[in-house]
This record gives sequence, structure tokens and C-alpha cells, in this order.
Amino acid sequence: MITLQNVSKSFSQFEAIKSVNLTIEKGEIHGLIGASGAGKSTLLRLMNLLELPDTGDVEVNGQTLTRLSAKELRRARKSIGMIFQHFHLVANKTVFDNVAVALQLAGSRKSDIRLRVLECLQFVGLEKMAEKYPAQLSGGQKQRVAIARALANNPQVLLCDEPTSSLDPNTTAEILTVLNNINQQLGVTIVFVSHEMDVVKKICSRVSVMSEGEIYETVTIEPLGIQAIDNRPEYFVQQLKRDGE
Amino acid sequence: MQIMLQYEAEIWQSIGETFVMVGVSILAAILIGLPVGTFLFLCRKGQLLENRYVFSVLNLLVNVIRSFPFLLLVVFLIPFTRLLLGTAIGTAAATVPLSIIAIAHYSRLVEQSLLDVPKGVLEAAVSMGASVREIIFKFLYIEARSGLVLGLTTSIISFISYSTIMGVVGGGGIGDFAIRYGYQQFQTELMMYMIIIMVILVQLIQFTGTTVSRVIDKR
Repeated sequence: MITLQNVSKSFSQFEAIKSVNLTIEKGEIHGLIGASGAGKSTLLRLMNLLELPDTGDVEVNGQTLTRLSAKELRRARKSIGMIFQHFHLVANKTVFDNVAVALQLAGSRKSDIRLRVLECLQFVGLEKMAEKYPAQLSGGQKQRVAIARALANNPQVLLCDEPTSSLDPNTTAEILTVLNNINQQLGVTIVFVSHEMDVVKKICSRVSVMSEGEIYETVTIEPLGIQAIDNRPEYFVQQLKRDGE
Repeated sequence: MQIMLQYEAEIWQSIGETFVMVGVSILAAILIGLPVGTFLFLCRKGQLLENRYVFSVLNLLVNVIRSFPFLLLVVFLIPFTRLLLGTAIGTAAATVPLSIIAIAHYSRLVEQSLLDVPKGVLEAAVSMGASVREIIFKFLYIEARSGLVLGLTTSIISFISYSTIMGVVGGGGIGDFAIRYGYQQFQTELMMYMIIIMVILVQLIQFTGTTVSRVIDKR
């Protein structure tokens, strides 16, 4: 589904990515983990050419992005969804319009847009929030709007750049569940960048560990799954006492 | 108030001239200043159309026009105005230097408003496959709209101020009337009334601009 071949990328003198080869199979949830500065976000951003590689080829969904014209690349990007740590919603657009804009860019008909937006919002459980503005939502809700926006054009691939890193544990579990559903129910291949080991272990089936712009090792794991978070006060007390022993 | 009635016709005419001069300036600011400011922003380092040469040229041009003391700009542009309109005298001719300063003035404020748009929003737009045109109209202007309105409000008030000296090329307007009938003919009361009219005008514009920008700001 995604193939990086000898891809490298430098920012002035700094070699962010050093000739990386990576293949991500269809249907995977592939984790990219590593310390900050290891190059995981840059590697992810190379997958939809938000960063242009200095060398090498990027192939997504059967298309070699690095050889497309600007217009073809824009079209290809419509089937590669992306979400970010800080959501990047348009604050002056309603939830509905934030999702609708993705469809407008793809040239959908107005009547189709309405149905599809509501469908996507329903998928992330926000159909009642359609007329709200992002400022009126919690962090988790904003991320779900961003997910709905990324899903609007039925992407084959969803790129996630630290999507849970600014969220609390409850909300993180909520977002991970949504991402898992997208992978399981819609068959979307997901690339998931995170610096949090336990988040990656919950949903990823393969994980590439990055260090200094290279992939140190790619490990196949059995995802732990997302447990419901115990919010009962007696649970907190129990945990505190156990840790103290 | 007696004196206002005495000059009623001239006062209405001068108000009309001010409206023409400021109106044309506003049009120039929106139709040309907005695109110029947008290019200033987009051609900056790290932005979508990064282009050192275009940026430097636009930046220098805007700075040079804005460094002119306005009275000198008016005089300096007389040959250009004459070339353009066949005359350098009158209200229509006065709109030429006013429009030029309006474009330079508003484009700088546009650039500043656009710089306030979080970079990530534009990045998200790129990742969705938006073209530069779509990014400008569906993301950039939407996210910057309250700043663009406030900037235009500030600009309009400056245009009113600039328009008051257009008497030097026979442009007329409230300022010119206040100088000629109020100051030069020792009718201080008349001059005061003209100043009051300008104060009310500026208050109205500022109030409208602030209100509109607040209502459309959902951030």
C-alpha cells in the first residue's frame, strides 16, 4: 500500500531521514515510534509529499507520488487522509463545513456532500455537533471532526501525526477506538506516529522504531486492544496503594 | 448652526467629494491591495508560493510608497495622473494618488492578518489536495476574515485622513472645505463643525468595523 524506496530528506544541514526503505501492507496499522527528532513525523509527511524527498521514490496506493504532476498529486492526496496533533480545523467554519470542505475540494455535488458529511460525523459520533464551531468542542471532539474530515473522500490510507499526544488518557482511548474501527470496518491502512509506547502497543500490528533518521527495526506485534479506562475513585485508590507497597 | 445652513450646498458637495475619494480608495484597496497583500504573504519564506524575488520587489514597492510623506506622493504622481486621466486636477484625479497609497497601506495589513492564520490549517488544506486558489479562498481568507475586516477599517480611516489634503490638487472634500472656508476665512466655528462631522464619520466606521469583525470571529 505504501512503499518508500531510498527516501532521504535534509533540512539545511540536518539529515532528518537517511535513505529509508519501508513497505506498509494494505490493512495494517503501522506504528512509527522513536524519540523526538528521530524523524518519525518527517517520514510520515513524506508519505503524502507534505515534505518533498531529496532522493528516492514514494509510492502510495499504486501511484508513485514523486513522479506525479502537481495536479495529479493534488488528486492523489484526496485519497490519503491525514490528521494532526493539533487538529488543524478551520476555526471559522462549523463542524459540518470543516468536513464538507474536503468534499468540495474533490468536486462532489452539493446534495451528495450533505449526506456524506452527516455519514462521516455519525461514524465519529458527532452528528449532533454539526452546527457548532471548533472552539465549542473538547480536544477529543476536535480530533474526531478532523478524522471525519480525513475520511470524507473514502481514503485508502490515513496518516496520523501524533493524534493523541495532546489528549488525556480517556480521550486517547476514545480516539484509538475510532481509528481501530476505521481500520477494521472500512479497511483503511493506517500509519500512526507516536512517542508513547503504550498507545502504539494498543492498536498497531507492526511498528517501526526510528532513531536518528533511520529505521532501527520493524517489529510485528499482537495489538493489545483498547481497554475501557477505569474512572472509579476506588480504582485510583487501589492503584495508588499498590504502587506504594 | 446658522453658518452651517448658510454653506449647506457647499458642505453637501464636499461630503460627496470625500465619499468619492474614499470610496474609490476602498475599491482599490480591496480589488488590488488584497491580492497584493496575499502575494506578499504567499511569497514569504516557507509559504506556499515562496519566491524571494517577487517578495522582495513587492515588499520594496510597498515600503517605498508608504515612506513618501503623502503630500509629496500626490505631487510626485501628478505626471502619472495626467497620463492616466488627461488631467491632474479635480476629485477624479485626486483618486489616483489616494488609490495608490490605499493599495500599499491595505496590502501590508492584509499580509499581517494572513500571518496570524495557523500554519497547520494551511498544511491540512494541502494534505486534502487543495490548490493554491482553493487554499486562499476556502481556508486563508475564512480564517483571517476578522483581521481583514479590522485592517480595512483602520485603512478606511487613514484614507479619510489622506483625503483631507487633496485640496492641493483641487480634489475638494470635507478637509479642503474646512481649510478654505473655516481656517482661511477665519470662520473657526465652521471649521469646528467640519471636524465634528469627521469625528462622527470615523466613529461610525470604527464601530461598524469592530462589530462586524467580532460577529464573524468564531475562533
